[in-house]
Parts: sequence; C-alpha cells; structure tokens
Amino acid sequence: MTSKRSGRKRRNFIKATGVGLLGGLAGCTRGGDEASDGNGDGADDVDLSVSEFQDADIDWQQFEGSTINIGAVQHPWVDAIKPAIPVFEELTGISVQWNVLPEQEFRTKRLTDVSTGAGEWDVFFLDQVVNQFREAGWLQPLDPYFDDDSMYDEEWYTMDDLFEATRWQAHGGGYSDTWTGIPITVEVQTQFYRTDLYEEYDLEVAETLEEFVSNAQTIQENESDMVGTAGRGQKGYGMNIYILNTFIREYGSQLWDDYPDDSGLDSEGAISAAEWYVSLLQDYGPDGASSQTWSDVLSTMQSGSAGHIVSDANLFWPSLTDPEASDAADNIGIAKTPAPADGEFAPNAYSWQISTSKNADNSEAAFLFMLWASSEPTNTWLHLNSSAAFSVRQSVWENDEFRSRVGDNFAQVTLESLQAAAPDPFDAKYPEWGQTYSEELQTAIAGDQSAEEALTNAATAAEDTADE
Amino acid sequence: MSTPTQTTKSDPSVLVRLRDLWNDYLPYWFMAPMVLVMLLITIFPGAYDLYLSLVEYKLSEPGTMGQFNGLDNFRTAFTSGGAVNSFTLTIIFVSGALALETVLGFLLAALVTGVKSERMKTFYRVAFILPMAVAPVSLATITRIMLNSEIGVIPYMITQYTPFAAPNFLSDIPLLTVMLVDTWNWTPFMFIIFYAGMSSVPETLLEASRVDGAPLWRRYVHVIIPYMKPVLFVAILIRLIDLFRTFGLVFSLTSGGPGTQTELVSINIFQTGFTFVDLGAASAIAIVYLVGIIALCNILIIKIGFEGVWE
Repeated sequence: MTSKRSGRKRRNFIKATGVGLLGGLAGCTRGGDEASDGNGDGADDVDLSVSEFQDADIDWQQFEGSTINIGAVQHPWVDAIKPAIPVFEELTGISVQWNVLPEQEFRTKRLTDVSTGAGEWDVFFLDQVVNQFREAGWLQPLDPYFDDDSMYDEEWYTMDDLFEATRWQAHGGGYSDTWTGIPITVEVQTQFYRTDLYEEYDLEVAETLEEFVSNAQTIQENESDMVGTAGRGQKGYGMNIYILNTFIREYGSQLWDDYPDDSGLDSEGAISAAEWYVSLLQDYGPDGASSQTWSDVLSTMQSGSAGHIVSDANLFWPSLTDPEASDAADNIGIAKTPAPADGEFAPNAYSWQISTSKNADNSEAAFLFMLWASSEPTNTWLHLNSSAAFSVRQSVWENDEFRSRVGDNFAQVTLESLQAAAPDPFDAKYPEWGQTYSEELQTAIAGDQSAEEALTNAATAAEDTADE
Repeated sequence: MSTPTQTTKSDPSVLVRLRDLWNDYLPYWFMAPMVLVMLLITIFPGAYDLYLSLVEYKLSEPGTMGQFNGLDNFRTAFTSGGAVNSFTLTIIFVSGALALETVLGFLLAALVTGVKSERMKTFYRVAFILPMAVAPVSLATITRIMLNSEIGVIPYMITQYTPFAAPNFLSDIPLLTVMLVDTWNWTPFMFIIFYAGMSSVPETLLEASRVDGAPLWRRYVHVIIPYMKPVLFVAILIRLIDLFRTFGLVFSLTSGGPGTQTELVSINIFQTGFTFVDLGAASAIAIVYLVGIIALCNILIIKIGFEGVWE
C-alpha cells in the first residue's frame, strides 16, 4: 500500500466519518413532523412571475382560502421549490403546509395516513409502492381533474415536454390506465469513469459490457490501490436490483413476461445479466461488494478508490465533481451506461411523483399544486435558481443556461439516457417479491450461491407472491 | 321539599363513605394512574396485537381485512416468512453479545476499581461510558464507513499493522460484526452497574480475605462475585431484555443481510409489517416473540433469581 494511498485513505476516512456523523446526528435530532408554512419570504422576493401562470386557461383562484398539507421526504426538490411557494400561494390563494420527514419515517407515516383513511396529507411523495397503494384503493386518480377545463389547460401545460418514461411511471408503470400522480423528479442511470486513468492507459469509453470489463480490468491490474469498478450490492428494492434490472432489459429480457405467471427472472437474458453483474463485482468490485449501498458506491468513487461506477444515478455528478466532497473531482467523466454488444441500450429511470389520496379533503386544490409544481415555468426557474438537476421536462435539459451551469456533457448524456429510459414496472406486490429477489442477488454477489440459482429462486418467489 | 332535605342529610354520610373508600384503598388509588398508563400503553396494544394476529390484515388487500383466520398468520410467518431463521439468529446474537458485554463490563469494572488515583478513576468512568451515549443509528452510520473495505479505517489498520488480512466485516462475518458493534455500544452499561456493585463490597470482607492470604482471583471468586450476585443478575436480565429489542443498529448496519444472515426477529417483524404490509403475520411473530421473552425472563427470575441470588 503506497503512502499516497494511506494519506488519501486517512483523509477520506476523516471526511466520510465527519459527513456520516453530521448526517447521523441530523437524522437523530430532526425527529418528528417539521410542519412549517411555505416560506417566510413573499412572492415579490422570488424571480418567478405570477403572470407566467396567469396565461394558462385555468381558474387558479377557485379554491382560494383552502390549505393543503404536503407530506414530503427530505429531498433536494423540497429545498429547491420552497422559495417559490409564495408565488403559488399568491396565484391560487391556497396555503401550503409542509410535513418533511426522513425517508423511513416518511414511508411509515404515509402508509398509516392513507391506509387508515386519515387523509391528513393532501399531497404526498410516492414511489415504488404506487401500485400497492392504487390496488388497495387508496389513491385518487387524477384523470377527472385533467378532464376539467377549469383545472387543466393542455396547450399551456405542454404534457409532451414531460419525459415519456415519467408519464409512464405516473400511470403505475404501465399497470394503470389512469394518472396516479404527477412526476416531479427523475434520475437515470449513467456510467462514471476516471478521465485521468483513461488518458494514461489510452482507454476508450465503454459502450458495451465487454469493453467495460476490459477497462475495469486494465485499471485494477495497473493501479494497485484501486478497484476496477463499484456497484450496488446491498439488498432492498432500491438497491442491487435497481441496477441489475437495466442489464436484464439490455440482455433482451424483461420483468414479468406474463403477470402473474412468468416473472422473467429465470429467463436466459436475466440469468446472463445476473452472471455478468455478479462476476463484475466479484472480480473488479470492492471487497464486500454485497453490502455496498449507493452511498458506499459514491464514497468509493469520491475517494479515488475505484476506476468506474458501472451504472448508477446521474445525480451523483455534482457530488463527484465537487472539489470539497471528492478527491477525484477534476477527473470524473460521465457516459451512457454500457449495454451488451448485441443488446439494446435501456437504462433504468426513477421518478418521485406526488399524489393525492381518496381520503384527502383538498384533492382538487392539491391537483392545482401538482400542476403548478411540475409546470414548465416552475421547473425552469427551479433548475436555474438552485443546484437541482432532476427535471422531468426535456425543455429544461435543453435550456442553454441550465446546460452551462451543470455542464454540457452531463446534460446531454442525461437527456439521451432519459429519452431511451425504460424504467421498472412496479406491480402491486413489487415491494414483497422485490425484497426477496434482492436478497437472492445479494447472496450471489457474496459468493454463497450462483447467479443462476439466485435468479431461479427469485423467479419462484416472485411468481408465488404474485399468485397469492 | 323532601328531596333537598334528604340530600342535605345524606351529604355528610356520602363524604364519610368517600373518605373511608379513599383511606381503605389508599395504596390502590396511588397505583391507579400507573395502572391506567399501563392499560393504555401495554395492555390495550397487546390485546390489539393479539386480535390482529388472528385476523386477515394485509393492508394491500383491503377486501379481506378483518376476517378471522385462526392460526393462518402464525403458519404463514413460521413456514414461509423466515420467522424460524430469525428466531435462531436472534438467540445466537443475544447470547453472544450478552456474554461479551458481561465479561468485558466486569473486567473493565475490576480494572477501574483497582485504580488508586481518584482523579484517574473519574477519568476512566467517563471515558468508558461514552460509547453508550451514541445513538444506535448514528453509530451504525459511522461504523459502516469505518468498516468499508476501500475507505474504512478499521480494514486499513488491520492490513497495515497486523499480519492478517482484514475480513469483509459486513459480508463475510455480518452477525459477528453486528454483535461486536453492539458490544462496543453497550458494554459501558454493564461496566457502570458492575462498577457500582464492586464499589459496594464491604472493605472488611476484602480485608479479611487479604489477612487470610487469599490471592486476587480467590477474592473475586469467593468474596466479590458472591457479594455482587444480585447486581450481576439484574444487570444481565435488563441487558438481556434490551438485546431482544435490538433494531436500529442492525437495520442501519446490514438491513438484515447479506441475504437473511442478520435478519433478527425485530427486523423480520418490521419487514413483514411495513414492507410486505402484512400486519396480521407481523403481529403473529410479535406475539410469539413477546410470550417467549416473558417466559424466559420469568424462568430466569424464578429459577436463578430466587434460588441463586436472593435465597
């Protein structure tokens, strides 16, 4: 182990421990509901004009005097949009109350709120459990509001500007004919690599999985203190399988060829994808890759200990290129996720959407908020006036000012990846079989069973669960 | 007119009766608020848990919710829900961590008791109880980083300063790792109780054993430990119950993995209830767990407590 490596490790440990400590303590102290008004500032202090919304043929004032409660997870979107809330309040006369919680606490409270019929939240964040909630009859479909001329102006809203993948996800990932919510953020999988090492070893950016393995191997063999790549191995339906599902699609298979009879997990393509990912992490990943979460993957790359991130959220870009947070900040490249030579490029995309429940008192006012929050003026303002880079609108990613802020290459790779994205279809029982599927995959990454055994077991579990 | 007269006449007797009622049952009145609180926070939730364990209560299937299904939830949990595995892991985890924490806590207490300087004693007492002040989730977050094979300080130190290769803590030896982290977090609790117990051993007894020429180990085996039996027993019992409730540390450190290698009962219950939204099956596991812990503690109190400690 070189001294350069030792020094870097020590620095990274101190830095990472500091961040972890602060994060942990923050998590401990924030605790319960953080109910607050929209923002202390008035609409006049924000560089977003109410007139931009008054062009719409929408009766913004029809619910004047009402209050909407928003249940949200601690997310940069909340921080970014809060300063603009006074504009919404002035435009509509609707007051906004926030209930911002840490993710796990939020999930539990959300489940309680909608399943017991309490309906305390008029708007809430929703994710992979969308169909679980929808099939249980808790969600309010938005279609009647879209059909109401006083609430929706098709021409002004420019629905086509929303990425197709996000609109598809808002329809329960293809399981619903109706709108289950409106997407507010999107992230897509991309590849990250070390430009300095690519230059040193004369490597080409990998477009195929074979090229990627070769590049990872070159770096690992030549850099004694580095691993070729890092990738999520931890179980959980947002962890290892979130990455693997991309490769399953790229190998020509898909989840649920025939719901609920054939999960597609034991298909030839799925097994090939799992074999590729498992051996990649075992051969060129960090020791103990099976327990790596997304934050471990990010930290490993930030510390300069990995040559690549094979495929993960494009949202890592600001953290990887920030000199304050990353030792490799000046040498990070971004590219599209690799695909098999004879496969199809189909990265995973993930959206947070906001929805309303059947038991909420102010679902109609909530719809106006959703429309306002996801509209083009709000999105453009939000992305030009904060560090946000998760717009669901193509126009933002094509906006020159935004591109110059985030970097042209990052914007272009994200845009192309989002246009080709094929997100996972989360059926109602996905949280259940997804958990088992991820456990099986984790066991394979840990070397306790083969990838084929893991996927075969996962297929049986998924089909049994879906069939219940 | 007769009614007010009767009321007036009966007033003193009502007051007297009330006063008698108050005086006769004085201890019970003082106990009443606590009983009420216990009813609200223990008995009612416990009874509701029992009810949930006997009905269909899967939140994602509202159509069948509330239907009585006998012991189906128990069968689901213990045949296909991984409950048996989680019970086994919990017993291993609790036994291992309890043994480590008891032995280390006792050794630390003995060491600090033996320190001559009062100032140094205070220093060690404060230093040794510090880990207990760290919240489990914060501890897990920091430990995850410290154990990371690429950027963690612990694998680095092992590789750098020992002839051994660092193991992959969270993937090769996850249960042992969880046990060790818990030991680091909670040994201070045992230390502080044992230290108090050790400090209360009468000096005359120790003096007598010294006069008799007993070596140090004999003084511990025949004087100090027998004298500390009640303290040892209570500390172990409290820690045992607390260990059965371990959740945050393991959830944040391993999420129960790899696979299900650290899926303790508490995590299995959480997963069944909040990921699979099957509150019926989760309640069934919780009932079995609760009954098991109560039974174990009662056996320990009756068999060891009364006969071995307070005979």
